[in-house]
Formats: sequence, structure tokens, C-alpha cells
Amino acid sequence: MIQFRVRSARAQQVLETAPYDRWVLPDGEVRAEFHCRINGFLVRFPGEVDFEIEAETLAVKAWPVDAENALIAETLFKNAITPILVNHQGGLSLHGSAVSCEGGAIAFLGISRSGKTTLAGAFAKFGHPFLTEDVIELVWERDRYWVQPKESELRLFRDSADFLMGEQENWQHDDEKQSIETSDLLPFCENAVPLCGVFILGDDEPNEISLAGLEPQQALAQILPHSFILDVEDKQRLKSHFSRLGDFAQRCDCFSLDFPREYSQLEKIVDQICQLKLERN
Amino acid sequence: MQLDAKFKTSDNAVSREVSGEMVLLNLESGTYFGLDTVGSRVWQIIEESPVALSIICDQIESEFDAPRELIERDIMALATDLSSQGLIELETD
Repeated sequence: MIQFRVRSARAQQVLETAPYDRWVLPDGEVRAEFHCRINGFLVRFPGEVDFEIEAETLAVKAWPVDAENALIAETLFKNAITPILVNHQGGLSLHGSAVSCEGGAIAFLGISRSGKTTLAGAFAKFGHPFLTEDVIELVWERDRYWVQPKESELRLFRDSADFLMGEQENWQHDDEKQSIETSDLLPFCENAVPLCGVFILGDDEPNEISLAGLEPQQALAQILPHSFILDVEDKQRLKSHFSRLGDFAQRCDCFSLDFPREYSQLEKIVDQICQLKLERN
Repeated sequence: MQLDAKFKTSDNAVSREVSGEMVLLNLESGTYFGLDTVGSRVWQIIEESPVALSIICDQIESEFDAPRELIERDIMALATDLSSQGLIELETD
């Protein structure tokens, strides 16, 4: 159990250290910066929250920049800090979304804004309940990876929400994601489901759906960027993490997936993936 | 690069065998590198202990059916690639 506290609001001071790692979005925006501290780490989400992680106990304190960001601190703790700490402690969390299908759970990995959540939403809309968004926590048990269900909401841009649920009336900002609760229209699966396939979304936008199986060694290289790592300088931990991902790549059927980012194509993509008749690992 | 050059694996390199082939990761740069069957065998030989490229060529020649000239050319090219990726280093002792 990770100890977590949200502290009172605090402005983000200029840090004297250079970040040892960064999360950068496709448009170049820095999403997070990782800094070393005397007794641990500071993870900064610029303009939102600073997280201080104590190295020994992994206790986390969040310092939102203002009261409005207190809720964001809770969300970031759940969706970014917790998976980092899970992996740091020998677990396996990946950045992506997952749904439950006939043969088991299907996971979608990809960089931010590559369409993972909309695709998971489309599966839910067409009868395959969604399991998790943003973070896929995997537990190896009884010779299988089990995808853990997380949260019963999806964070979507307005156009995706309109497609999945019908026109949205009360949308605050058209250019920002908003949380959509699961419902009969977007069902949620409440139980852990054994993983049967992993789809790694590319950033191409082809005219046709492109789906290809990946050899485990190719899969390992492609999965690595979608895992969460706290300390890129802790070589022993990195080696263990690499080894766990190697096991994962060998045990799961992995595919590369590119598709036209058009809502009219999503049902076809769902059908095509479901027809693969994936088997539980 | 000469065939008598002796190489060792870098401290920043980590390898993982996946389905019979090696995937290498440079922990410093975060770049990864996949090796085919022969490349994987070369990596194993270097990983055992620092070794000259000519010795690696001898070993590969005894294990795989290929002309010596081709083996030498491929091993030199592979060593150049691995070295430029920071995965192996020249042994100077």
C-alpha cells in the first residue's frame, strides 16, 4: 500500500537540478519531468502538480499548484505515479487501455493521443466491456496475465464522446478531455480478465486497417516505451524490468495496428480484431 | 576496425533472449537493438569474456555454414553497429 497525501497548494519553484527523464507528448509538450532529490525523487507535471517520492518508503506527497489542481493530483497519482511505483516494486503496468472480449482481455498500447481510449470505447459501444483506461495493471497468476479492472470512466475528447454516446450537450471545453462514466451504452467489466492479445498502435494514418503479428523480440522493443519507469539510472531495476517485459513479450500474442482515424471505420476494426479468435495466454 | 580488436559488453547494455534471439537495450540512451541468430551467438561470445573479433569469426565459422570472408565482413559490420550504439566497448587491457 502506497502512502499518499495531497498537501496544500504551492507554486512550482524553478528547480536547480536538470531533469534526468521527461515524458514528452507528440506535439512536443513536456508532460512530466523527473528530478533526483536527496532522499528520493520529484516528478513535476508543469503547471499542475509536483509529486515528491521518498526513495526508501515510496511515500508520496503531492503539491498542486492551486486548489483547482487538487483533484488533478489525485488523478495523476492514480494514472501516472502509482503505475511507476508498481513497476519500481517489481510489478507490471503499461500505458494503454483494455477491453474484455470473448476470448479474454485485449490491450491497446500507444503513445498519448494515438486513439487507445476511443478504440476501447468503440469496443464497449459494440458490446465488449472496457476494463481500464490509461493504465493497464497486469498480474501474473495461474500461468496467465490478468488485466485488473480500473475505474468506470473514460476520458474522451468531445468528438469521440459524440460518436460513442451521441451528441454531448454539457461539454466544458471542446479542446479538453472530459470524464465519461460507464453506462449501458459503454459497459464496464468489473472483474479481472486473462489477457489474450496486445495491440500496439502506430502513429501512421493509413487508408486501410493494417494489422500484423509481431515476433516476441519485435514486440519487446515496441512494448518498452509504453511501460512506466521511475529511476532510469537504477540499472539493476532496469535490468529486472527489461526481463519482466521480455517474459511478457514471449507469453502474449502481440500485433501492430494502424488504422484510419475515422469514426466510421471503428466498427470494422472491432470486427476484424474479434475475428482473430485470440486465445487466452 | 581490425580483426584483432578485442571487445567487451558495455556496462550500460542489458540483453534478453526472446524466442531464441537477443534483444539489447542501452540503459543510458534507452535505445534497443535486435539481433538475428548469428548476431545473438556473437553477443553470447562477447558476453562470456572480452574477445577479439578474429576469435569470434573462428567460433562462428565452426558453428555456421558460411564462407570465412563473409563471416569476417558481417562480424566487423556488427561490431561497428554495436559499438556505435554503445553496447560493446574496445577492451584496452
